[in-house]
This record gives sequence, structure tokens and C-alpha cells, in this order.
Amino acid sequence: MLQFLLETSWWIPCYGLVGAVLTLPWSIGLIQRTGPRPAAYLNLLMTCLALVHGAIVLRGVWHQDPQVILLHWFQAADLDFSLALTISPVSVGAMEAVTGLSLLAQFYALGYMEKDWALARFFALMGIFEAAISGLAVSDSLFLSYALLEILTLSTYLLVGFWYAQPLVVTAARDAFLTKRIGDLLLLMGVITLSTMAGSLNFPDLYAWADTAELSASTSLLLGLSLIAGPIGKCAQFPLHLWLDEAMEGPNPASILRNSVVVAAGAYILIKMQPILALSPGALTVLIVIGSVTAVGASLVAIAQIDIKRALSHSTSAYLGLVFMAVGLQWTDVALLLLLTHSIAKALMFMSIGSVILTTNNQNLTEMGGLWSRMPATTIAFAVGSLGLVGLLPLGGFWAMYQAIYSFWFGQPILVTIVLLVNGLTIINLLRVFRLTFLGQLQPKTRRSPEVAWPMAVPMVSLTVVALLMPLILHNFSLLPDWSYTNKIIVVLLLVSGLIGSAIGVTLPLNRGWSRTIYKPLRLAQDVLAYDFYVDRLYRLTVVAGINGLSRCSAWFDRYIVDGLVNLAGLSSILSGEVLKYSISGQSQSYILAIFLAAGVLGLLLTWSIW
Amino acid sequence: MSNFPWLTTIIFLPLLASAAIPFIPDPDGKGRPIRWYALVVGLIDFTLMVYAFCTQYDFGNPGLQLVESYNWIPQIGLKWSVGADGISMPLILMTGFITTLATLAAWPVTFKSRLFYFLILAMYGGQIAVFAAQDMLVFFLVWELELIPVYLLLAIWGGYKRQYAATKFILYTALSSLFILVAGLAMAFYGDTVTFDMRELGLKDYSLGFEMLVYAGLLISYGVKLPIVPLHTWLPDAHGEATAPVHMLLAGILLKMGGYALIRMNVEMLPAAHAKFAPALVILGVVNIIYAALTSYAQRNLKRKIAYSSISHMGFVLIGISTFTDLGISGAVLQMVSHGLIGASLFFLVGATYDRTHTLVLEEMGGVAQKMPKIFAMFTACSLASLALPGMSGFVAELMVFVGFATSDAYSLPFRIIVVILAAIGVILTPIYLLSMLREIFYGPENKELTSHEALVDAEPREIFIIACLLIPIIGIGLYPKILTQIYDATTVKLTSRIRESVPTLVQRDHPNPVANLPFQAATVDQAPRLGQS
Repeated sequence: MLQFLLETSWWIPCYGLVGAVLTLPWSIGLIQRTGPRPAAYLNLLMTCLALVHGAIVLRGVWHQDPQVILLHWFQAADLDFSLALTISPVSVGAMEAVTGLSLLAQFYALGYMEKDWALARFFALMGIFEAAISGLAVSDSLFLSYALLEILTLSTYLLVGFWYAQPLVVTAARDAFLTKRIGDLLLLMGVITLSTMAGSLNFPDLYAWADTAELSASTSLLLGLSLIAGPIGKCAQFPLHLWLDEAMEGPNPASILRNSVVVAAGAYILIKMQPILALSPGALTVLIVIGSVTAVGASLVAIAQIDIKRALSHSTSAYLGLVFMAVGLQWTDVALLLLLTHSIAKALMFMSIGSVILTTNNQNLTEMGGLWSRMPATTIAFAVGSLGLVGLLPLGGFWAMYQAIYSFWFGQPILVTIVLLVNGLTIINLLRVFRLTFLGQLQPKTRRSPEVAWPMAVPMVSLTVVALLMPLILHNFSLLPDWSYTNKIIVVLLLVSGLIGSAIGVTLPLNRGWSRTIYKPLRLAQDVLAYDFYVDRLYRLTVVAGINGLSRCSAWFDRYIVDGLVNLAGLSSILSGEVLKYSISGQSQSYILAIFLAAGVLGLLLTWSIW
Repeated sequence: MSNFPWLTTIIFLPLLASAAIPFIPDPDGKGRPIRWYALVVGLIDFTLMVYAFCTQYDFGNPGLQLVESYNWIPQIGLKWSVGADGISMPLILMTGFITTLATLAAWPVTFKSRLFYFLILAMYGGQIAVFAAQDMLVFFLVWELELIPVYLLLAIWGGYKRQYAATKFILYTALSSLFILVAGLAMAFYGDTVTFDMRELGLKDYSLGFEMLVYAGLLISYGVKLPIVPLHTWLPDAHGEATAPVHMLLAGILLKMGGYALIRMNVEMLPAAHAKFAPALVILGVVNIIYAALTSYAQRNLKRKIAYSSISHMGFVLIGISTFTDLGISGAVLQMVSHGLIGASLFFLVGATYDRTHTLVLEEMGGVAQKMPKIFAMFTACSLASLALPGMSGFVAELMVFVGFATSDAYSLPFRIIVVILAAIGVILTPIYLLSMLREIFYGPENKELTSHEALVDAEPREIFIIACLLIPIIGIGLYPKILTQIYDATTVKLTSRIRESVPTLVQRDHPNPVANLPFQAATVDQAPRLGQS
């Protein structure tokens, strides 16, 4: 039995897909009598199956060597595109985390999306989402990973565009797709290059090739840059970061997954590609620079947001920036730890604010307040999530940050400062959100706000428990450093940065009524941050305007020059016909004259040599 | 049964059946019996085709199969000879499939329905004849005959500017196909034997200058059909005015004739000239991809937008056939089949949307999804297929062309890098115009002006059925491309090895040491590179 389950472990990602297909009768309206709920239950059931199957497999492969499952997809000439899966404790564990979070998010969606008429479609999309991410976790082939990243792009597009009649969704879905697609296509170029150079796209072969490969600096730099473009798009890093912010227009249960595991999926691929990236020091430097810029920039931008979801989504970009830095310095285990703690904490926080949004029908921070007395579980969830995210003792985030600083400690003082800065800024932001939402006076929009119903409360509370147990879990997997060997300076530094951040966050004046300050310089800074450093306007003025202009030029050229020439040929033949028709006068003498003249000229020409 | 003239039957069945259309009783004058008749004939022909290829066609054999040859007019050496190999066979199947679906798509046509279905059936036979003909004169005849139904279908059932579009189409294509006749005659009379048989024409030893000349002539005539920028301007007009079923045939099949003929004649018969022209073809392909994608983005008319996207996708065929690798040529054939399916589905949906909104101008639409969620879903799926999402056939085809070109040893590394990067930019442009189009039609709040005077009803089962029929092979090929490539691989591999003979640098690389340690070398199947000797 166990052997059978192990051999069929490639089914686990398929369960979500099967669930998505099973919802079809409901989502296309074949079954209407029952309402859309059975579709949701079917999907939940499939996710449960995946979770159980995964758990058994995980027990089976614990302390075992990784197994590889190969499916030959397509061969042509010498090129073999095979779909390889690796079944190792790490990959199956990642898959379990994904299915677990997906189960919680779907459960949560039962409550959050209760009144939505398209519930079946939503669950179908969540099924695809889950299938793609858990497939990514076990994928052992760069090609398969690329394809799954594209499927993720697709499901993000569909999920963000879920409420397609809303005005802001109109551009949000398209931008999310385009931004990620640009990254994906650049990644595809890297994949094609690798396939021509390494001959195989399976990670073990690629690693073996990367060990011995000797590339010129420019080639390896180009290769590395195209490979990191995919994760940059997926993890919402500068300069492809704008979509995550806009994607917050989508339904919240999808945002839970998007901000925790989807971005993590991009980083996971990056971690898997790290040995290939290591060929080019330049690419690694770029990785570090992009990570640092995003980490600091996004942390700052988050502070100026007044949309509760956007305030948190920018912090996601910031944390993924830290992950990028860790990968750039080749500390992949630190990157994985950061990803794990961030995913759990962020998912919990998004569940909490989802509850707030559903009860108050409001996402505007300035119109909230005093919710702690009305929604205690939600408040606790947010608090625990925040603690789990930031570097304050003793939850997961602290240890992840500690490990990050510990790895950067020798030689990279700037990066250490960045981590500390991100920690402080995140705490300021989270405290600001917490104070605005949960503390203070009740506001008109928060007065009648009961705690959420059980389908949302159960996943939220269970994830709260998981987040609280995070240090224990890490300890069990021996991911924590022994307390007696910890570098006390780092601990102190981290705590100090956290405390400074808390101090600022607590004392920050929060003027609800006029949250835009009238003090000019401050107002300027506020605007710059609130509008994301005006990057979107910059893009609109450069890239978008450029493409628009070019396309208009080519359309004009096509219409008036290329087609104009064709029409000119037609016109000239008509015109010449029109002119010639006046020679048809009907007078036979003129015809005879014309014939004689022509014959004479012809005769002259023919006999020219005799003359 | 192996002596049964399968291909001739398949070609003549719709033609003969169309002759019976004037005699079908049509009591209420709405053409119901006629459309059923046409649909049944189409289905029977498609079934025959599938049966013939399943039982009589050997996938492992790279040469011509199901060959038939009868003397037609012996005095001028004209023979009715047909046959199918790996390149024509998938296209014949696709023709049967799409034409049958187009018949179903033409259900709402009630205006002059007798003539309409007569023309559709006539096209059915004619299109297959183009892909099956093995005699140069027959090929030219059916190629020309094909134009007449299209002209009439455009000129009678088209949009407001149908006369202009139809005239432009017929003049453009008829003029360009003169080159086929001239080139064909020149090849036939070259040397000391006179023959119109394509196989024998391929065996002749032409001088390089002559080959180049003939190649250029054929390139122009097929470049109009494919189309290649700048010979494309008939297409947006014709596509912009055609009705949905005609549209499906135009995009699904007629464009593929150009690609097919390029492979069949330019590549297969004139390999020496192809070796010289290939870099130009690659550049033309890149220009096609980028230029048409950019132009498509600026179009405000839905049909013209999709028409330009067809041009853009055909660029990959041009690049594919000039790669000199198995993968690239295989990708070119796959791209033709894949775009046939995707293009037909998109054009059908455009037609379905137009039937409801009665406008093609994007500004006049908006928020349509609320009334037509099913059409929205299908449109999204087909657009995603068109922008080459993994798991759909377009992705596999474009990936094969990309990898085929990147691994091609016929070009220098910088050239390959530049071409791949430029083509990739074209691929990035595709989602830009497709998603913007979706956004403008479907997303956002409803356009009150539109909903106030148009009844936006959602898709009916017939439309869902058509799209499902097209999407299933699109996704099937995308998930498991071997399903299709194994059908024609033997032929493309042999074709590659033949054309590699004509590139001096590749010959040196292939022959002194066939198992040289180059990582990506086209597999040479046998040492009989000449066409049709097996």
C-alpha cells in the first residue's frame, strides 16, 4: 500500500486539477438546482485527499534518498523534454505546506465567498492554483517548473480578474498577467539557452553541467539575468513589482495564497536555480541589488498605504527581497527558512484582514478603528501574524531574521543594516495598521462588526496556533540554532531594531480625519511613497507610451504606405483605363489611322537594321 | 481496399455532392435541409479521411502514400496524381475538421443558403486537392479554383466593404499565383525531359541561378498567401469583411496553403536556393512577428486585430522552415496545424460576439461579460491559446521553433541570439494586444449604450460545441505533442536531412563523421536524401 502511494505521489498535484475539473458542471451552469456549494465541497475533498496522500508519502520518504519520477513528454532529435519529479523530504514537505495552506484558504473561502454567485468558478481556480504550486514543489525539471510558473501566471490572471465587472480589476488582471509574462518569457529564453548548452533541463543534469561549464562572463551574465527574470516577476521584485499591489483587487482567499505561497513558489524556483546562477557573479550581484532595493523600497511604500490589503502586500515584496538577497549570497537554507516563516505569518495576517474587510465592507484604513473589542479572534490572529513576521522574540520571523543576519554577518555589513532596517520599518507599518484597525475609537464603519462565522474562524484560529508553534516546529526539524551558541550581538541588534520600530510605531501620530498632512515636505514624501515612487507613471510615460507610439506608427505605415502602394497600383490601372476610354470614339477613320500608324512604327522598328 | 482511390474520393465527394444542392427541396426557404445536407456530407468526408489515414497510412514511412495517378490529358503530360505524406496529411485532416466545423458555424446563414453551402462544399474539395495534388499543373488549377468560392463568399456575404475586400483579394492572389504557373512551367521544361510531376521536378538538377529565380517567384506567390509582410494587406481587408465561417476557412486553412506550398516546393524541390534564401526568410519571419503584433495592437476593429495576429503567428512558420533542424521544421508544421485550430476558434468567437453586439469597434463594447459569461470564458481560453500558454498547442509549436532555431548549426551565434530575442519581443507583444482586447470587450462596467439596444444573449450549445471541438485538440496537442508530431516526424526528419545536403557547411559537418560530438545535431535517418526514392 505504502509503496503504491509512493509510486503514485505524482497524483498529489493532480488532485487539485481533478477538483477543478469536477466543478465544471456547476461553474458552467449545468447543475443549478443545488447551488454552487457542492462544487466547493468537492474541491475541499480533493485537497484533503492531497493532504492525506502527501502526509503518508512524507512519512514514507522521511530519512530516505530522493526518488525521481520521469515522464517522457516530448523528444525531437537529441532534445528530450522530460517531466521529472523529485520525491524527497524537502519537496514533499513543501508540497504538504502548500496543500495545507490551500486547504485552510479554501475553507476560509467557504465563509468569505458565501454570497458570491460564482463560487464554483472560484474553487475551480483555487484548484488549479493549488495544483500548479504543489507541482512546482516537487518538480525536478526546469522546463516543467517554467510551464507551471506560466500556469500560475494564468491562474493569477483569472483570480484577480474574478470580479471582472469592477472598474479597478479591469487593468489589474491584465497588468498582473503582462508583468509576470514578461518575466516568464525572459525565463523561457534562459531555458532555451540552457537546453542548447546543457542538453537537458532536469535539475540534477543542470547542476552537473554547471559544475564543469566554462562560459564567458557576458554569456553567463545574460543567462543568469534571463533566469532571474522569471522569479523577479513572480515575487513582485523591482522593476516587475507593480502587479502584486494591483492584484489586491481580487478576492481575499486568493490573496492569502498569493501573498504566502505563490510568491514563495517563485523564490523556490530561484533557490533551485541557484547553482546555475552561481556561474555568474554578476547575476548574483544583480540579485542582491534587486533584493535590497525592493526590501527597503517596498517597506517604505507600505507605510504610506491606506488600503489595508496593499499595506500588507508591499511588505510581501519586501520580505521576498530579503529572500533574494539570501539567494544572491548563496545562503539557500536561510532563504528557505525566511520563505517558510513568512508564508505562515503572511497567510495568517491576510486571513485576519479578510475577516475585517468582510465584516466592515471596507478596505480603507482611515475609516477603521476599535475592532479589538468586537473581533477578538481576528485581532489575536493579526497580532500573532505580525509577531511571527518580524524580528521580535520568540516567534518564527525572529529566527529567520537571525539566521539571515548571522549569514550576512561576516563581510556584508550593508546587508545586515538592510535586514535591520526592513525589520524596523515592517514593525512601524504593522503597528500603524494594527492601531488604525483594531485600537482606538469605534468608527461608523466598524461599529456593527461581529466576529466572523466559523468557516472563517476555524482556519484563522488553527493557523494562529501553527504560527505560535512555529519555533517548536523549527526546533523539531533542527532548524534553530542552539540558544547557547547564538551570537548575542545579533540578537541584541535585532531586538533593538525591533524596539526602535515599535517605539516609532506606537508614537506615530495617526490623524484619521486628515491623514494627508498639510506640512509640505512631509506631504511630498507621503505622496511619493503612497504612489509607489511613481514607478507606474514612469512606466506609462516610457514603456507603455513607447509601445503605443510604435504600434501607431506601424499601423499608420501599414495603412498608408504598404496598403497605399497596393491601392495606388489599383487606382493607376483604373485611371489609365479611364483615360484610354476616350480614344474609343466610334469613328472608324480614327481607328484605321491608329492601326496604320502603329503598323508603320512597327515596320520601321523591324526594318531598322536595313535602313 | 488498398487499391481504392481514397484521396480522389475524398476530394470529389464534396464536389459532386455540391452539385446536388440545387435539387434539394427547401419548403420554407430558410435553407434548413441544405445546411443539414452540407453538414452530413462534410462529416462523411471527414470520417472517410480519418478512416483512410488510419487504415492505409503508415506513420513510419516518410515518403508519399495513398498515391494515385491517372492520365488526364496525355498530350500535354497532364496527370491527375494525388498523394499524401507527413506534411500534407495533418493539413488534409485539419481541412476536413475545420471545414466541417465551419459548416456548423454557418448555421445562422439564411441569405442565399443554396449558393452558400454549394460554395462551402466546393471549397472543401478544392482545399484538400491543394494539399494532395502531386502534379504541378493540377496544383496550379486547384489553387486557382480555390479563389473563386472565396471571392464569392466574401463578395456576397461580407461586411460593408465586401466588394472592395473581395476584389482586392482576388486581384492580389490571382496575380501572385501567376508566378506559380510561370515557375512551374519553367521547372517543367528545364533540362531535356518535360514533366509536371512534383517528385520528378524535385529530382531535376537545376542550375543555381535558375533555382534562385524560380524560388523567388514562388516565394512571392506563397508569400501573398501565407502572408509575408509586406505582401499581406489583402488579409486584414478580407478577414475584416468576411463572415465567421468564411473567416474560419480563411485563417484556418487558406493561410496554411501558403506555408504548405513553401515547404513542398521551395524547401523540398529547390533546396540549393533555399539554403541561400533561408536567412532572408528568417528576417522576414521576425519582421512578420513584430510588425504584425505591433500593428495589431493599434487596430480598433476586432476582426482586423485578430487578422494581424494571424500574420504575426505565421512568422514562426517562416523561421521554422529555415532552421535546417528537425525540431524547427517539425515546429513549423505544428505551428500551421496549431494556428489553424486557434485561428479558427478565435475568428469564430469574434463572429459570435459580432452577432450579438453588431459592432466590431472596440470602443463601442465593454462589460459584455456580465451578459455573456460563457462567450467570455471561451474567448479567454482561445486568447490564452493564441498567446502561447504552456499546455496549449501554440506554446509547443513556438517553443519547438525557438529551440530549433537556437540549436541550428546553420547560423552564426550572434544572428541566432538576435533573432531569438526579437522573436521573443514579438511573443511579449502578443499578450499585450490580446489581453487589452479582452479587457475592452468584456471587463469593466457594462456599456449602457450597447446594452440599451442590443440583446446580448449568451452562447448557445452549438457554439459551445464548436469551441469545445477546437479546444480539445488544442489542449491535447499542448499537453502531449507527440500525438501529432509522431504522425509527420518521419517526413520532416527526412526533409531536414535532404535540405542539409545543400548547405555546404552543414554537409561537411554531417558527413565526414556522422556521429560528431556536436550536442545538437539533426539525426540523419537514412542516406537517401533525395525525395521519393524510398
